[in-house]
Formats: sequence, structure tokens, C-alpha cells
Amino acid sequence: MKDKDKYNFPDADGRYGDFGGKYVSETLMSALEQLETTYESLKDTEQFKNEITDDLNNFVGRPSPLYFAKRWTEKLSGAKIYLKREDLNHTGAHKINNTVGQVLLAKHMGKKRIIAETGAGQHGVATAAVAARHGLECIIFMGEEDIERQSPNVYRMKLLGAEVCSVTSGTKTLKDAMNEAMRDWVSNVDDTHYIIGSVAGPHPYPKIVRDFNSIVGIELKEQSRELFGRFPDKIIACVGGGSNAMGIFYPFLKDNSVDLIGVEAGGSGIDTGKHAAPLSDGSIGVLHGMKTYLMQDNSGQILSTQSVSAGLDYPGVGPEHSYLKDSGRVEYDSATDEEALDSFHELTKTEGIMPALETAHALAHAKKIAPNMEKDEIIVVNLSGRGDKDMANVAKVEGLTL
Amino acid sequence: MSLIKSTFKNLESINSKALVTYTVAGDPNLDFSERIISEIISSGADIIEIGVPFSDPMSEGPVIQMAHERSLINKTSLPDILSLSKKLKQKFKSTPIVLMGYFNTFINSLDSTRSIHDINDDICNELKKNGVDGLIIVDLPYEESEAIFKKLSNYEIDLIRLISPTTNDYRINEIISNSSGFLYYVSLKGITGAEIDSYDELKKRVKEIKESSSIPVVIGFGIKDRETASKMSSFADGVVVGSAIVDMISNSEKQENKLVLNKISKFVGDIKSSIQ
Repeated sequence: MKDKDKYNFPDADGRYGDFGGKYVSETLMSALEQLETTYESLKDTEQFKNEITDDLNNFVGRPSPLYFAKRWTEKLSGAKIYLKREDLNHTGAHKINNTVGQVLLAKHMGKKRIIAETGAGQHGVATAAVAARHGLECIIFMGEEDIERQSPNVYRMKLLGAEVCSVTSGTKTLKDAMNEAMRDWVSNVDDTHYIIGSVAGPHPYPKIVRDFNSIVGIELKEQSRELFGRFPDKIIACVGGGSNAMGIFYPFLKDNSVDLIGVEAGGSGIDTGKHAAPLSDGSIGVLHGMKTYLMQDNSGQILSTQSVSAGLDYPGVGPEHSYLKDSGRVEYDSATDEEALDSFHELTKTEGIMPALETAHALAHAKKIAPNMEKDEIIVVNLSGRGDKDMANVAKVEGLTL
Repeated sequence: MSLIKSTFKNLESINSKALVTYTVAGDPNLDFSERIISEIISSGADIIEIGVPFSDPMSEGPVIQMAHERSLINKTSLPDILSLSKKLKQKFKSTPIVLMGYFNTFINSLDSTRSIHDINDDICNELKKNGVDGLIIVDLPYEESEAIFKKLSNYEIDLIRLISPTTNDYRINEIISNSSGFLYYVSLKGITGAEIDSYDELKKRVKEIKESSSIPVVIGFGIKDRETASKMSSFADGVVVGSAIVDMISNSEKQENKLVLNKISKFVGDIKSSIQ
């Protein structure tokens, strides 16, 4: 990519090429402006950077290790597979990288109340944890269907002092939780900060969430230099809204020797239409404040999605991913429910690491490509979260009850 | 002069205020929508907002959300709504019709190629041809739509924008210079159908906007009865009534259609007489 040094998105209008922007009701425009101004004025100050680093080191437990999956590599008999262990973070996923940052922004803006949407519950838990730590009121919106399939996380949020609000409108999943959070925000905009959990939503959220999650890619660069003396050949991450992927990809966007691969939720298979893969099989539209690839029908109505993983069950995707798809810098593929479940078991049994079902989609892709690569090539999979939360769901798929 | 503009001029000349009503097209079906809106116009409404249903109506309260869901059970689409608009315009030539909805349905249901992602000449032609006089696109701030505003104005279709209690002075001026028809002042920080908390503040804000613009200012969100409507219209150029009517429609499955129509007709007439 010749224009690699030009990569400087989002632009002043919050756009990634034609994607992104701020498509929200007038009532929220001032809150978005306040958030942007606060973030831009703080992000490069020593004090703010120190606060974040301190939280990441001592509250989250960073840096996260880069682990060599030796037995799995031997089994697949191809490229070496390393796992970036975001599952070892406090609260069990990459989501906390963003919430520790956003809660500090909320405090600087003088907001007393935190709201968030959640799908798998990981973002809800990560938000509830930082709210508890800073003594802020916290309300988490979660689709009724997700509350059922992620019950351990629901209880964790409650233990952390958050109120979990069941969303019964629309498809009762992540997108509807986001609608409800937006409605709450419009109604309580003066004292409330909305911590969006993905690189989605109106500008400046996709940028802020990307920046806070970039610590993953920044660490990986250092660890790669130390361990391999070079960068990996391929980095693989799952993509729902796309925050773990953006976090590990972003620092490598200008390093063209590194192939970046995002894996969407293929559900029952792309051909069946029952999936959650807007980049693989969607069209451009506007939802939740952003222009991006969406799953929608011929009337511009958003379609319900299907995935075994609640965290990927979203009909849109962060606008920067849409841009990176069209520009060709990142390759996007998908893995089906079946492939994800298969990798979930395989990693658990082979490496003693139980991945989140979301993460299992990225692992499934590694499994497909590793055998066709040379033994001295290196794949890094972003192990974005741990799978304890999914046990009941996996058991259910297999006809068992815990 | 656009039909909306001339409507306000006429009302002003008889010292009257505008009653704007909102119902969702296709709630519970398109035939009934036509009957309801005809009844509303006959009972005294001056401008008709037709809600375009969306799967994710982020600015709506529960009453209107449910109306969107009921309408989408029948897969009501924008082309269906344009046919409804055309029929209504044939019957009521002087009543402006405004479509209110979310950006995605406007850019993705009239363009079979799925390649435009914008409101272009073809779409403007379709709107004009079917009697649409204005658009309110809830999730389209002026930053994202200066070109769309200019395009629509070539077709004398007004782009009506919302101003909220959180809109600062700079934005108010930008909004004023990027809108036409009327300004829709959102009476509260919240979703449709919620409660208004401060009339004094509201009155002050509307007065300020009216001082810096010649575009009529209409107040919406939270107007449910005669008293509120009367109070609001004393300092604005009109009021929007939405959730209150939609709530009556939501009960239509339980009641005879005729009864619902009578109830809506009486309510509209009542509100109209309170704002004279």
C-alpha cells in the first residue's frame, strides 16, 4: 500500500473514507461534542496517560502474555500459532481495556451515571467493574435473549452493583440493547456517560474504543520483536462490532508484511442467510449513528442475526472495518457456529485454555489456514476472552444441562 | 413557495396556529392508516406527519416503538407509504404531507442497486411525484446532510430539522440556515411521549429561536392533551401530537374501528380548537 503513511482516519468529520460519521438525533450532538473535546484534550497529557497505564497494569493486569500454543501447532502441523492472552485480563476479556479509559473520561466530564449495552455480557461486566471501582451508578442494557444465554455474566454484573435492564423490544439481542441505551442516554444526557463497548456507534466512539484497545497491538509489536525478532505473518481476530480486532490490527496497519484477518460469525453458514456477517454478506447503510456495512432487507430494515456467540450477534460492524475491507488492507472471512464450537473444544482439550465462543471463530480460521503455511511462519490469534461464561450455552447445544 | 410555507402563511393570516399530527404508516395496516389520516385532516389537522417504520427506532418511546413493530409485521415499505401519500394528496390537495423516519429507510428502500447511500434526484422525484412536501429524518444532523438539504430544496421539498434543549447557540444558527418548512423544537431531553418538566425554560428557548429566524417553530414530544397544546401554542407557531393518537390506534384491535376513528376525530378537533 503506497499511501500507507497517509492512513490517518478518522478525518475531522469522524469518517473512515465514506464510512462512520455521526448519525444521531440532535439531542445527542452536544454530548458527542463534549466527549470528543474531552478526549482530544486529555489523551496526550502525561497525567491521563499515567492514570491509564496505572489502571492497565494494576487493575487489569497488563501486559497480557503472548503464549505459544505448542501442542495445537504440532497437531495442525503448519505455522506456529501464538495466542495473545486477553482472556487473562481482569474480568476475562479485552473489553476492560476500553472501559478503564472511558470511565476516566466520564469522571473528567463530571458524569455520575454510567450506562452500557452488552451482548455476551463481557462489556457489561467490564463496565460494572470500573463503575464499582470509581463509585458510579451503573445501568447495563441487555437483550432478554442474551440474559438467558449468558446468565453467569448477568449475576456478575449484579454482584458488581450494576442494575441489569432487560430489553424486550425488537430482536431482544445486542442491537436492541444498544437502541435502549441510546434512549436512556437521550433522556439522561446531562449526568450520564454512555460507554459504548465496541468500535461502533457515532464518532468519536469508534476512534476512542480503538485507541483504548490498541494497547493489545502495541504490546504485541514489542513482544514479537523480543520473541521472534520480527512481526508475525498473520494476525487473526474475531469481528462482531470489531473492538478486539481493531485493537490488535491498528498498530500494524502500516506494516504491510503482516496479513490482518477478521473473522465474522458465519452462523449456520453464509449461504443460509442465518449469520451475523455484514462484511461478508451485507450492504451499506446507517444504524446506531454510523454509516457501515449492515445486514438489512430490501426495505432498509435491519435483519435479525444468528450466531452461537452472543457477542458477535450484531447486524452491523465498526465503520473502520468497513473501510479496511473496501481498501483491501484487512481480509475478512467467516466461521460457522459448528466450526467455532469445534475449535472451542479443541483449544480447551489441547492447550488447557477455554476460549470464549466469540474468540473460537478466530481460532477456527487459524485452524483452516495454519496447515497450509510453512513451519517457520507465525500466526497470532487474539484470544479476546475466556469461555467460562459460555459453558451453559455449549452444554445446551450438546443437549446437556448443567 | 412550498406547500408547508404557504400553509403557515395562511394560518398566520387568520391568526391561527398549526396542528401537526403524527401517525405511523401501516399501523395496523395501510388501509386503516388512510382512513385515520383522512379523518384527522377532516377534523382540523393542518400538517400530516407520516411515520416511516424502522426496525430500530432509537428516538421513540414505547408507544411509538410498538407502532413501528406493528407496521413492520405487514412489511410496510417506503414505496407503500408513497402510494398512501399519493392517495391522500389526491383527496386533500392543500394539506402538506411530511414523512418522518430514520435515514437508512430513505437511502436503502428506493434504490434497488444499493449503491447510492444518499438521497439523490431519483429519490427526490419519487417523493415529489407522490405528494411528499417535507422530510424529517431523526438521525440526520446538518453536518451529514448539507448536500441533501440543497438537493431537496430544488424539488421544493422541505427538510425539517429538530432543535433540542441541548442544542447550543452555534448549532441553532447552523440548523436555521440548513432547514426549511418549519423548525421542530423537541420539548424535552428524551424520547417521544415523555413528560415535559419546565415550561418557562421551553418558552424562553422558543422565543430566542423565533427572534433569530423567520421559519415557523413547532413544538413536539410530550403534548398529550388540550391544556399542554394550548399552553405551547401560545408561544409557538404550532404543536405536534403523536404518541397520544398512536396510543388510541394501538387499542384499535380491541375496539371497533369506527369507535377508534370517532375517538381520534374528537381528540384532534379538541386539540385544534384549543390552539386557535
